[in-house]
Amino acid sequence: MNNKEYDVIVIGAGNAGLVAALTLQKKGKKVLLLEKGRVVGGLSSSFIRGRFEFDTSLHPICEFGSKENSGVIYDLFSRLEIVDKLSVEALPEAFAVYSLDHKKKYVMPVGKDAFILKMEEYVPDSTKSMEEFFSLCEEIESALSYIRENKGHFDMEVLLKKYPYFMAIASYSVKKVLKKINMPLKAQEILCSYWSYLGSPVSKLSFVQYASTIYSCITRGPVIFKKGSHAISLLLSEEFIKNGGTLRCLTGVKEILVKDNEVTGVVTDSNEKFLTKHILANLSPNVVYGNLILDNVVPNKAKSLTNSRSFGARGVSVYIGLNKTKEELGLENMTYFIYHSLNSDKEFKRMHGVFSGNLTAILKNSSIDSSCLVLSSLIFGGAFDKLVTKENYFAMKEKFAESLVSSFEEATGVNIRDAIEEIEVATPVTFARYTGHPEGVIYGYMATSYDNLIPRILNEENEIFIKGLHFCGSFASWLSSSSATYINGEQEALKTLEEMENEKV
Amino acid sequence: MKKFKIAIDANQDLLKFKNLGEERRKAIERGSTTHVNASSFTNNLVEMIHPKGIKVEVVQIIEETEDTKSFYLKPVKLESMPPFLPGQYVTLTVTINGKTYKRPYSISNFLKSLEMYRITVKKEKNGMVSTYLFNECEVGETFNLLGPFGHFTYQPLRDGKDVVFLAGGSGITPFMAFLQNQAFLEKIHSLTLLYGAKSEFDLIFKKEIDEICSKNKKIQVIYVLSEQKRSDYAYGFIDEEKILQIGFENKTFFVSGPLKMYFSLNEIFKKLDIPNKFIRHEIFREVPEDLVEQNFQLTIKMKDKTLTIPCNEKETLIQSMEKGRVKTLVHCTVGECGFCRSKLLAGTVKTEDSCVRASDKEAHYIHPCVSYPLSDVIIEIPL
Ligand SMILES: Cc1cc2nc3c(=O)[nH]c(=O)nc-3n(C[C@H](O)[C@H](O)[C@H](O)COP(=O)(O)OP(=O)(O)OC[C@H]3O[C@@H](n4cnc5c(N)ncnc54)[C@H](O)[C@@H]3O)c2cc1C
Ligand code: FES
Repeated sequence: MNNKEYDVIVIGAGNAGLVAALTLQKKGKKVLLLEKGRVVGGLSSSFIRGRFEFDTSLHPICEFGSKENSGVIYDLFSRLEIVDKLSVEALPEAFAVYSLDHKKKYVMPVGKDAFILKMEEYVPDSTKSMEEFFSLCEEIESALSYIRENKGHFDMEVLLKKYPYFMAIASYSVKKVLKKINMPLKAQEILCSYWSYLGSPVSKLSFVQYASTIYSCITRGPVIFKKGSHAISLLLSEEFIKNGGTLRCLTGVKEILVKDNEVTGVVTDSNEKFLTKHILANLSPNVVYGNLILDNVVPNKAKSLTNSRSFGARGVSVYIGLNKTKEELGLENMTYFIYHSLNSDKEFKRMHGVFSGNLTAILKNSSIDSSCLVLSSLIFGGAFDKLVTKENYFAMKEKFAESLVSSFEEATGVNIRDAIEEIEVATPVTFARYTGHPEGVIYGYMATSYDNLIPRILNEENEIFIKGLHFCGSFASWLSSSSATYINGEQEALKTLEEMENEKV
Repeated sequence: MKKFKIAIDANQDLLKFKNLGEERRKAIERGSTTHVNASSFTNNLVEMIHPKGIKVEVVQIIEETEDTKSFYLKPVKLESMPPFLPGQYVTLTVTINGKTYKRPYSISNFLKSLEMYRITVKKEKNGMVSTYLFNECEVGETFNLLGPFGHFTYQPLRDGKDVVFLAGGSGITPFMAFLQNQAFLEKIHSLTLLYGAKSEFDLIFKKEIDEICSKNKKIQVIYVLSEQKRSDYAYGFIDEEKILQIGFENKTFFVSGPLKMYFSLNEIFKKLDIPNKFIRHEIFREVPEDLVEQNFQLTIKMKDKTLTIPCNEKETLIQSMEKGRVKTLVHCTVGECGFCRSKLLAGTVKTEDSCVRASDKEAHYIHPCVSYPLSDVIIEIPL
């Protein structure tokens, strides 16, 4: 193998690309990781304003847990041998959710029993259905872990025998299943507060996906990485290099070479050519099939699948450095969901407009006298495009900031604007600039009906339209959260590895 | 597991599960096989708002004072320049005798049409680029421009409605964009500009400022001359007395000027107990005083080549790279933007790291535009 030839080329050093590259390198493969930006991490990065370092995608990680009660991300980072180098901060609550219209606040604790008890306090007679919910969750977690262990090619018979409940509910939405177990509506609404983190309302969201996230959140407790997402991205890249991997930043890929429906290599923006039979693209299929591969060699099925999908959420984030700690401000919680109402279908509709006022927030102290607050709001559909122009862009950024800050202040009753020392706003334009994703989408494709988690996994095998070309990241099978992309990076790496083993035979 | 009945439709559930894959295959068959769209409206906006580089032509040069000239820059290919906020800067790429230099300059005008930017350059003693621009640049010359960048901007949620601009010398440049920006002026209640210079002849833009003030009652301007006494101007420096005179309660200060001014004002702000929140600084580089003339080697590891050039303790690594004709990645040149982020593989440097990410510091990343070598140094850059 000459120095321009690799076992695998990973395009894009986001969460999934980094994990995939490290996984393969650790298995002794010769891996080239290409990143068009200057810094690795994609959306898991950070930036500095004044004395604050802001995490671009600061959010709770539900699937981490602890050594004693480890979640899938803990286990993954153990396999990658980086878990000891990370320190996490446990959030004091599972979540706090506010309804602006009803002026109500619900703070839900960590721990199954405490959660059920608190729910009973808020919604009398909810306990029985909550217990049923939790036992379903337990089975879902085991079933998903079985599916992951088998890299997606699982045995239906085994699933049916061992996880009958999983099989029974896997094709249904959150709404259908919770209704079926007779959960009081209000309890359903509180339990589903996390919906906007997953990017679909309960009538579209797959129960399996929601249950696995919220179950881990409640039983293990959400954490944030103390040193932030950039620290993890950097760590993954440094480990990759230490293991002998080649990382190239500021190296965009402009073409993926395909011959006889098999990948043969890539050409970079500076016209360098690298050869390989295996590519893992941490990019959207839209960019890969639309921009990187000659149109006449893109299989029709690849085109029709990509064209039939719709994009998931875009977002606006406001990063705020406050000159007071959360205690000084009188804010107890770290993770907030703020909606007009707790009816996710209704709010989903509202969020097809741009200034919905619905948001998620994370607040953490950053020094003895300051804190960081990140407010994020999702936008669905094309309203952003109708409103924003080159000329009004900065004015719109100010409006976004005003809308999110007002909403946060209204919900919590706390004035934060007087404590703002630094402020920055990221819009879909910002996300498009840094990721290159179409429309600046941050949640991959909309997870709904045939494009939900289970159908994506069930069909993965059939959707390798070009031999040797796999996708990882938010547009791939395991959907779009930060945990999902880490998991998906490993899954796709293992599949590629398996392909290589098969080639040898 | 507790036994309860979950089936939504006992006969259908399993079938439904098995059909999930099939439904998806059908959906694929329904999809169109036309060319896949990779970009959209938003991606086009990115190109307009954050172009990767803009070729501009100098269309007019105006001598403002004895040592200061303004340059009007018009895009060569684009219809108009990218939008920006008053206070932002652009990075000009200038090639002199085969060596390429990049220098940040504040945009010193604000045209709603975005038809052109103005930058205003003061000739620095021994200054490579400023001297070239002042002495040699002519109308018709073209440059590559990066940006706009920078956070020396007004944020209505953060900043007060009563604003004070403290300008020293050529530090007036960013404020000219603020003064010409109606959107900004509409957001505030009052604006006081304290503008210090040596003499009346060193006041850049005096006529322009007076004209704007005469039309807008919100704006008050006080010129402060340090080397000339005149009854119609204030005398001395921008000091505590002058700040007490205009008052500081709930006012937001924007400061742009020479280093000396930053330091003396910081003392005053501290004494008056003005919180950080109310003080915005233009970015600047503080050159360490204890550096000595000492030659070292700088080795630069790039993607597919490694270069070694001479460097000197008294110069930043970027300055040595400019001299050594090595391509640089810089925007601000003063350590703030992080664009030059490089990994220090060997050697020691004296550096300013307040704008380096915490985890980057631990992994030995530096900003070479504010790093001075104290030994032979090896860095890695992503080029
Ligand atoms: C955000 C920003 C906005 C700016 N806006 C303007 C503007 O509107 N008008 C204007 O005239 N200039 C502006 N400058 C300064 C400008 O970028 C150049 O530094 C200046 O023109 C000198 O460049 P030069 O090539 O002539 O000097 P050089 O050849 O680079 O250096 C000459 C001498 O000055 C020192 N020096 C150079 N740059 C700096 C620096 N940034 N801080 C401290 N010492 C330095 C060198 O060490 C050397 O001794 C701005 C700088 C920044 C960071
Ligand atoms: S160029 Fe901005 S930090 Fe060095």
